[in-house]
Amino acid sequence: MGEPTRVEYHAELRDLEEHALEGLDLVVDALDRTLEATRNQDAELAQAVVEGDDALDGRYLEVHQRLLTLIAREAPVAGDLRLISALLHVMKSMERMGDQCVNVAKMIPIAGSDPPADERMLENIAAMGLQVRSQVSQAKRAFADRDVGLARDLVRQDDIVDALNRECFQIAIEIGDEPDRREWAMTMILVARALERIGDNSVDIGEQVAYVVTGLFREFDDASHPGAAGAAG
Amino acid sequence: MPQTQIEESIENATPQTPEVRLETEVAEVPPPAPTTEEVERPAKTVTARNVNLFYGDFHAVEDVTMTIEPNKVTALIGSSGCGKTTFLRSLNRMHELTPGARVEGEIAIDGQSIYAEGVDPVQVRRVVGMVFQAPNPFPTMSIYENVAAGLTLNARRMRKAEKDEVVERSLRGAHLWDEVKDRLDKPASGLSGGQQQRLCIARAIAVEPEVLLMDEPCSALDPIATLAIEDLIRELKKRYTIVIVTHNMQQAARASDVTAFFNLEEAGKPGRLVEVGPTEKIFTSPTEQATEDYVSGRFG
Repeated sequence: MGEPTRVEYHAELRDLEEHALEGLDLVVDALDRTLEATRNQDAELAQAVVEGDDALDGRYLEVHQRLLTLIAREAPVAGDLRLISALLHVMKSMERMGDQCVNVAKMIPIAGSDPPADERMLENIAAMGLQVRSQVSQAKRAFADRDVGLARDLVRQDDIVDALNRECFQIAIEIGDEPDRREWAMTMILVARALERIGDNSVDIGEQVAYVVTGLFREFDDASHPGAAGAAG
Repeated sequence: MPQTQIEESIENATPQTPEVRLETEVAEVPPPAPTTEEVERPAKTVTARNVNLFYGDFHAVEDVTMTIEPNKVTALIGSSGCGKTTFLRSLNRMHELTPGARVEGEIAIDGQSIYAEGVDPVQVRRVVGMVFQAPNPFPTMSIYENVAAGLTLNARRMRKAEKDEVVERSLRGAHLWDEVKDRLDKPASGLSGGQQQRLCIARAIAVEPEVLLMDEPCSALDPIATLAIEDLIRELKKRYTIVIVTHNMQQAARASDVTAFFNLEEAGKPGRLVEVGPTEKIFTSPTEQATEDYVSGRFG
């Protein structure tokens, strides 16, 4: 074995990973604004979330294109190939998480500016938001550190989200017959559903971490079991 | 073993004995992914056990144990000087043509040692054919004579009609027939590099060997001729066991079923087999870090 070779290629791959994982920071930012807009029923901030999604989509397209260029020009194999495959998945998850923030943001004007019909529902949604925010950060850290243990822990974390989601569903069932309240509850179910999906996406990223490290792609056990996804999941 | 005995055993293309199967199992080579291609003729298994190769005092290859599966393409990869070509040449006793060269350990074809006392190296080379790096047809001979040369050298008396049939079959087998059928009596030197290499493959398969060794068969060819040879290799494995040495890792990835990575720890040390496994695994998730570094081009 002699001097390191393909220096530029490996520098580009490192840069792409950094760029891709920064996309998860953009998701965290979008999530922060989404949760704040939800808490304050702030339609203006919600609109900013919708418009801000272009940055995530742009990041997705840019990294995706650069990854394809690397595949075409450098014929990556082994660990590099697994990393590139995983980054393509990560970018797709990132883009989907951005879309879920948009889905939540679009619910805010529909939910209206009247006082919330049920405080417990809002508390649950706030708790789900904080939890998935933490999961997205954890997924990023697990990927950057190639930490399979931390990645696997996302399944445990996501159980919390799933439980909160089921509670939201239960609250909606029990909210009564008054049409406005029911409509509000339905809207909140959709918000909870979007947050729950973000949690799932963070687990998907965790699975990619395990693939990069071990070369074996398997869905983490609990993630694909219908029982764990809850009534509304 | 007496020479006639090994010749007989090789000629008869006997199926694998249970003992040989056992050897295959203990060699700990993960089975390659099943190929969907049809096997037209069961070929033979080559086993190397604790093979050490020397040039005089120089220990070139250390302790290689591996099984080369029948009707599969096995690629030997590794940097220059890692011993892969030396190992390849030991599989048909060409290694010993170098003065001072010697072999320790056992190499067997379907369980029959090719280094056993009394085994004729010429007979081994008939059973285990070789295609070299640069196409090396006999330049003054016609295309026809080049293919027939192997038959003549093996001293089999053959009627003209029979010889015509073998030449046509071999040229067809080497994907060359349609391009040369109207000029069989023209000199081989008039062919392109890719055609010349396919002619050499036709010459090698004319004697119906069991195993084909290829030492960087595409390194002198342009990319299109290279792809034609790779297609041909995939076709040939239906009838032969193929071992190919290549410096082109993409070629190993494209054309082989099993990849063996050879490496040497440092200059002057013997080359050794680091890892052997299904090509798909070697190029997606190799077990050894040294393999990973080599196939991903991390070190020159």
